[in-house]
Amino acid sequence: MIEITCNDRLGKKVRVKCNPDDTIGDLKKLIAAQTGTKHEKIVLKKWYTIYKDPIRLSDYEIHDGMNLELYYQ
Amino acid sequence: MGSSSAGKKHKKDKKHRHRSRSLERRSGVEEDEVQILDRHHRHKKHKEHRHKHHRHREREGGESGSGGRASEVISLEESDSDSSDCVEVPIEHAKTRVREREAPPPPTIRERVRDRERDRETEVSAPPPPQISKHLDYERRRERESDRERESRKRMMREKERPRERSRSQSPPPPSTSRRRDAAPPPPTISSSSSRSYSPIPDNGAGDVLSIEETNKLRAKLGLKPLEVDSGPTKSSAASSHGESHAKSSGEKDLSSYKDEWGEFLHKPADNIKEKKQAEKLRDKLNLRKEKRFLEERLARIKTLGESDEETDNTSKWVDRNKRVVNEREEAKRKAKELEELDEAFGVAEMVEEEKQKARQRAYGDNSLKGLRVDHDMDDFGEGRTVILTLKDQDVLNEEDGDTLVNVNMLDDERYKKNVANKKQNPLSYGYDVYEEQYDELGNPIERSILEKYDDDIDGKPKKRKNFVIGENVEEQRDQRRKLLEIKTKLAGKRLETLQDTNLQLASDTYSTAELATFKKPKKKIKKLRQKLKAEDLEQLAEPSTSGSSNFGSRHGRYRDADDIEMKDEEQETKSTQIKLELDDDDDLERVLSKARRLKQKENIIKKSLPIDVAAIERDIKPEPVQEVNSATSGIILSGTDNNIVLNATAEFCRTLGDIPTYGMAGNRNEDSNDMMDFDNNEQQMDEHMDGHGDEASVSGHGHGTWNSVNPDEVMQPADFDNLGDDLEDRAILDEEPDVGAGVANALRLALSKGYLEKEEKNRPSNTKMAHLQAKNYSIEDKAAGEEEKVGRRDRFHSGPIMDFKDKETFKPNVKLDYIDDNGRILNLKEAFRYLSHKFHGKGPGKNKIEKRLKKMEQDGLMKTMSSTDTPLGTLTMLQQKQKETKTAYVVLSGSNKTTSGVGGAPIAKFK
Repeated sequence: MIEITCNDRLGKKVRVKCNPDDTIGDLKKLIAAQTGTKHEKIVLKKWYTIYKDPIRLSDYEIHDGMNLELYYQ
Repeated sequence: MGSSSAGKKHKKDKKHRHRSRSLERRSGVEEDEVQILDRHHRHKKHKEHRHKHHRHREREGGESGSGGRASEVISLEESDSDSSDCVEVPIEHAKTRVREREAPPPPTIRERVRDRERDRETEVSAPPPPQISKHLDYERRRERESDRERESRKRMMREKERPRERSRSQSPPPPSTSRRRDAAPPPPTISSSSSRSYSPIPDNGAGDVLSIEETNKLRAKLGLKPLEVDSGPTKSSAASSHGESHAKSSGEKDLSSYKDEWGEFLHKPADNIKEKKQAEKLRDKLNLRKEKRFLEERLARIKTLGESDEETDNTSKWVDRNKRVVNEREEAKRKAKELEELDEAFGVAEMVEEEKQKARQRAYGDNSLKGLRVDHDMDDFGEGRTVILTLKDQDVLNEEDGDTLVNVNMLDDERYKKNVANKKQNPLSYGYDVYEEQYDELGNPIERSILEKYDDDIDGKPKKRKNFVIGENVEEQRDQRRKLLEIKTKLAGKRLETLQDTNLQLASDTYSTAELATFKKPKKKIKKLRQKLKAEDLEQLAEPSTSGSSNFGSRHGRYRDADDIEMKDEEQETKSTQIKLELDDDDDLERVLSKARRLKQKENIIKKSLPIDVAAIERDIKPEPVQEVNSATSGIILSGTDNNIVLNATAEFCRTLGDIPTYGMAGNRNEDSNDMMDFDNNEQQMDEHMDGHGDEASVSGHGHGTWNSVNPDEVMQPADFDNLGDDLEDRAILDEEPDVGAGVANALRLALSKGYLEKEEKNRPSNTKMAHLQAKNYSIEDKAAGEEEKVGRRDRFHSGPIMDFKDKETFKPNVKLDYIDDNGRILNLKEAFRYLSHKFHGKGPGKNKIEKRLKKMEQDGLMKTMSSTDTPLGTLTMLQQKQKETKTAYVVLSGSNKTTSGVGGAPIAKFK
C-alpha cells in the first residue's frame, strides 16, 4: 500500500491510499470518491507528464508519498 | 466588521474550534442528535457545492453548538428570515454582534446567563429549519466565542492537555452511517495511529485522508482488490525480527518467516549478493579442478621421451624388426614379377596394350572438333592466345543448327561494343541519319535499313554474325583477309591518279563544244518545251546537225540561258545546212522553230549591220522571208545563202556597247530568257505587228535591242525591204542622234537618250502612285542603319567589347534639358535639384518656405518688369510729367512741415 497526495492548488488536497499495481484509472476513481468530482474529469499530472488511465502506478514509478498534480478537464 | 479587533477574533476563533471539538467529545449523547440534524441540513441544501473543510467546520460548529445549545437555536431562528446564500445578519444579531464587539473578552456572568436564557426560549419556539453552512458557520463561530467566554477558566486547564486530546479527536465518525457520505465522504483523518506513523506525508501537509478500512470499502465498491497493507507490518516485523534473523544468521529462512503475525505473506527478502558471489566462486573452483584432473589423466597415458621403450632400447630386437621390414618388401616385389610373367604367358599384356590405344583413340581430339562452328570473328582470336570456348546455350530440340562454340567473355565484349555503338548514335535522330552515308572498309556504301538498330530486337535474331567453322580452310580465309587488309592500309589516305588521261590543254576563254554539251542548263525550260515538243521530233532535228559550229558561247554566259534546242537550231541556221521541214500539224513546234529562227535572224542582222552594206543585207535578208513563206506554206527544201559569220572585233565591241544599257538583251538579262521564247506572251504583240505591217513605230516601241518577231505567215512586200533597211539603220547600236531641230519630239527623244530626261519606268510602280503604300516613318537610311546595327550586334557578340561604338555620322542632336515647375517657370540648377529631391522623397517644403519662395519669386518678377530708367514707384515719370505741366525745368518743393528734409523732399511726397 502506498499513499499519494494529490493537490489541485485551488483548495483540494487529498491523500489516497492505493496499491502500486493499481492503475491510474483506479487511482482517479479513488480520488473522485474522496473529492466528490467525477473521475472522468480528473487529470493527473507530474510536471508535464499526463498520466494515462490504463497504466499502473508502479509503471509510472509512483511511489509512496509522492505528490501528483490534480487537474480537471 | 472590518476592524483589527475582528481579525484577532478570527484567530481566537480557530483556537476555539479545536477546543470545541475536544469539548464535543465529552458531550457524547448530544453528538448523535446534532449529526442527524446536520445531515438533514445537507440533504436540503444539496445543490450547493461545499468544500469539505467547510463541512467539517460546519459539523464541528454544530457539535459545538450542541455543546452550547442556546447559540444553535439562535442561528436556526435566523434562518427563518433568510434562506438565501448571502450572509445577512438580522438586526437583532447585528446588535448582539456589536455588543460583542464592544464587549470586552471577560464578560460578566450575568450577561451570559441572560444570553442562554434567551436562546432557550427561541429554541422552544422554533423548530430547526435548514440553513446555509456559511451562515451557520458564522453563527456558530459566534456562539463558540460566547462559549469560550463562558468557560474561561476551565479552558486554560484543558489547553495543557490539548496535544493528547487532538489525536483522539481525529477519530472519524463511523463511516457506515450513510451511502451518501461515501460518495462525498466526510470522514476525517485516520483513526489508527499506527498507520499514521509510517505515512510519509506529514500530518499538517495532508489533505483529506481515508483510513485503510474505509479505502478498502471504497475499493470493494469500485471493484478493486483490497489494499495490500502488509508493507507496514512487514516493516515492523522486519524490525522486530531483526534480532531473530541475527540470531539465526545463516540465511536459512523457512517459509513461516515470510508471514507476519497475522498469517499474511511477507515479501521475500532480497538475495544476499555476497553469498551468491561466494557460491559462484566455489562452483568455479570445483569446475577448474575437475578439468585439471581430466587433463592430467590424459597426459598420464602418453609416453614421455624419458620413459624407456623396450623394443628400441634392446638392440637385437631393433635389428629383428628392421629385417622383417626388408623381407616384406622383397616378398612383394617377387610376387609382382610372378604375376607379370603369368600375364605374358597367357597373352593378356597385348590385349591390355590394345585397349589402351583404343582408349587413346577414342579420346576427344582435334579432329573431333572438326565441323564445329565458332560464333566469333576469326580475327578475335589472336595468335598464341588461348581462348576457352564453351558450347552455346541452345534449344534441346533445335538440332539442325548444330553445336556452336562461344566464349562468354567475348560475347560480353560484343554486347558491350554494340551498346556503345547504339549510344554513340544521336538519340534525337533515333539513330538514323538520313543524310549520313556510311562506307565499309573498302569504300562501298553500306545499304542501311531504316532504324536498323532495332532490327535485332524486332526480328528476335541477331544480325548475321561473323563466324567460322573449325577445320575449314582457315588459312586461306585468313590469307585473303590479310591481303584485303594490306590493300586497305596501302590505300588509306591516298588517291588514285592515272598519268595517261591528263592531256595538257590550253586554257581558253570560251567553252569548247564538249564543255558546252556537258554544261548544265536550267531544266525548267526544257520542261516547258517538252510539253509541246516530242523527243522524237527533236531527235529528227538534231540528226542532221553536226558539231564543230563556230558559235562558241562566251564565258560571259550569253548563251547560258539558251536552250539545247535553240543551240541546235542556231547551228543549223548558221551553217545553213539543209533542213527538211515537214509541214506539220503540230503548230506548236512550227511556231517555236520559226521563232527561234527569227531570233537567229535578228542576231545575224545585228552582227552584220554595222558595216552597213545594203547589198549584203539584202542578200542576207532576202531569202529569209522566202524561206519563211516556203516553210510555212509548202515545205520546200531551202538552201541557206551563206555559211559564215564574220565576227568583227569592233562590231562585237560596239554591239556590246549598244547592248548593255538596254535591259533585256541576251547577255545582260537577268530575267529568264523564256520571255523571249514565251510564245503566248508575244503572240499578241506579234499580232499587232502583223496588223500594222511591222512599221517602225511598233519596232521602236517594242524597245530597242529586244527581239522582234516577224510574222512568218505574212508575205513581205518589196516595200518592206526598204523599211527593214531603215529599221536596221534605226536599230544600229549607236543610234543616230535625232535631229533636234526637227521638232520637239526629237528633242525630247534626244534628251531621253542622253539621259537628260528620265523616262518614267512603266514596269516599276511609280513613286507618286504608290506613295500611299510607302512607309511614312521609314527611310532607306533607317533600314541601312538597322542592318548596320545588326551587324554591329553580331560583331559585338563575336569580337567582344573591343569594338568601338560607331556613331551615326550625321546625328548631331540638340539636347537641351530644362526643368519647368508647375507654374511654367524654368528652374535653375539649384531649384531643379530641390524640385526633384522633393519629388523623390515625397515630402515637400514647409509652409513658410513655400511662402518665402513665392515672395521671392514675386519680387523677382517685379524686378524683371521694373524699368531700368525709373524707380519702382515711377517717381521719375511723375516728375517729368509735372515738369511738362508746369513747363519749367524745375520743380518747387514746398509745404513740408519737417524742416529736416531738403528742398526737393516735399513736392515729391505730395506727388505721392
